[in-house]
Amino acid sequence: MSQLVIEKLHVEFGGLRAVDNFDLTVEEGEILCLLGPNGAGKSTTLDLICGKTQPTGGSIRFQGKELSGLLEYERARCGIGRKFQVPSVYKEMTVTENLSVAQSHHPAMWKALITFGRGDESSRRAVLDRVGLIEKANEKAGNLSHGETQWLEIAMLLTQDSKLILMDEPTAGMTIQETEKTADLFRQLRGSHTLIIVEHDMSFVRRVADRIVVMNRGAKLAEGSVAEIENNAAVKTAYLGH
Amino acid sequence: MTRKLSYDLLAFAAFMLVIFLVVPTVYDYDGFELNTFARYLSLAIVALALSLSWGSAGLLNLGQAATFGIGSYAMAMHLKLRASDGLPDFMAWNNVETLPWIWVPFHSLGFTILAGLLVPAAVGGIIATFMFRARIAGVFVAVITLAFLVAFQLLVIDQQGMTGGQNGLTGLAQLNLFGWEVDTYSTAFYYLVAGCLMIALAVGLYVSHSKFGLILRAIREDAERTRFFGYNVASFETMIFCISAALAGWAGMLYVLVLEFASPTYMSVSFSLAIVIWVAVGGRESVIAAAIGAILVNALEGRLSDVFVEGWNLMLGVTFVLVVIFMPRGLFGLVTSMIKMATERVRIRSHRPHAIKPIKANSQSEGRR
Repeated sequence: MSQLVIEKLHVEFGGLRAVDNFDLTVEEGEILCLLGPNGAGKSTTLDLICGKTQPTGGSIRFQGKELSGLLEYERARCGIGRKFQVPSVYKEMTVTENLSVAQSHHPAMWKALITFGRGDESSRRAVLDRVGLIEKANEKAGNLSHGETQWLEIAMLLTQDSKLILMDEPTAGMTIQETEKTADLFRQLRGSHTLIIVEHDMSFVRRVADRIVVMNRGAKLAEGSVAEIENNAAVKTAYLGH
Repeated sequence: MTRKLSYDLLAFAAFMLVIFLVVPTVYDYDGFELNTFARYLSLAIVALALSLSWGSAGLLNLGQAATFGIGSYAMAMHLKLRASDGLPDFMAWNNVETLPWIWVPFHSLGFTILAGLLVPAAVGGIIATFMFRARIAGVFVAVITLAFLVAFQLLVIDQQGMTGGQNGLTGLAQLNLFGWEVDTYSTAFYYLVAGCLMIALAVGLYVSHSKFGLILRAIREDAERTRFFGYNVASFETMIFCISAALAGWAGMLYVLVLEFASPTYMSVSFSLAIVIWVAVGGRESVIAAAIGAILVNALEGRLSDVFVEGWNLMLGVTFVLVVIFMPRGLFGLVTSMIKMATERVRIRSHRPHAIKPIKANSQSEGRR
């Protein structure tokens, strides 16, 4: 059975159909890239999966469980993690503290109340080492550069260890080397985590994607491997307008 | 152990030393002076309670005085019952013939103490549940809690037969704690209040250094983000309101012991705002700083309001404005930035030998900073 099944998903914002009759299935452990021109409904789709936006119709099932009607934190507990387009980390906290917040295998309030200190140190260091922020462990997150902030949020998602990770433009603002490093990291995650990535950088998409879904005006335009999409006439029309 | 925790423990030990040794010595173990200081200490508890919700989670609770008032009335009811044969005197004046059912269990001290902690916690919890499930945040929390406070004070004043109305509860007996007749002008009583403050501070420090406290700070910065890590933000916010309210109730109970009467002014808007000022002066990020802020401002008020009877409130207001403009993090912020500057200076000094070396080494040490 597919890990994530979206059927006839629909959402309207004041008459505007941001996502319109959208179907999508995602298999466990694959990396799916969502492409599409601006306003195609890519970010909105991620919002609908993680609960930031409630749909007007349709269903989202994750591991056989219907998600519609569940609150954000309940979906996170089901195993869905989200990285936002604008990197959102806790700027007033240190890098280590940011990861402590993300370490949420036991997110219940009572559990937090009886947990003293900052939790598992070694796993945090391992993650920081992986993303190359180990030197900055005690730095305030607000003092990091844009690229480092992106890395920190990725590190937080790795710490959260969700089965399904939704990434909204993870490489925005990164240098070419940083982008390559991100691609390598994502490929290591393939198999153990499912990734849905919204991205514009085609060279990055070529390196990581198992499958591509192209959206346009809230609906699915095309679906297939990287090569299939690059030769798809409808996709070219949507992007170039001819 | 993190550096922050060791700093806090150090400050806690120093504060304890001052409260338990220095202050009694300075006042020469004089009962009257120590009673005055015990009043500041009980107010320090309500200040640290506010710093937990306002400083950690960013929830400005302007209704703190209501929960403080509930605690104070609980204790006053017990002491009033001890002072009267059967029906308290003010009830007779109000044509109340039998003791209202709500008063009956306050014959027991155990019940009184439990009620003084749990009723405020329950009241705080109920308001918080309604607010935070609806995701109310920011200034609206302040507005709603303030409105609740005003309504609650009106209710207490209105129920004259049960609460003594505008006069409050006066003519109270002394507390009998396990056979010890508590003389509020004794050194022992001062240590009782000081001990309570220390326990309350320890609770506050535990909360802010637990994972719970970390998540509260995360909520203050970005509640939305915190939800996507699986935390039920509303339950965290509700819990800190309950803890804060229980501590405020505890402070209220001690306050009644010190002053030997309960009055609806304990639930006034101006008292609630005063708590905010103490916390702002001390620094809302730290429970110890908030407690110190309360003691300092009240001690100043004790000295200056005798001299400047009319002008004192104006001076307090101006102080608040100046603190908000020039020290937004209060005395705590001032002290931490001074410590930071001092350690920075030490670090630069220890780096100086490198600076004499060729330019390459210099730029390296720059980069590290």
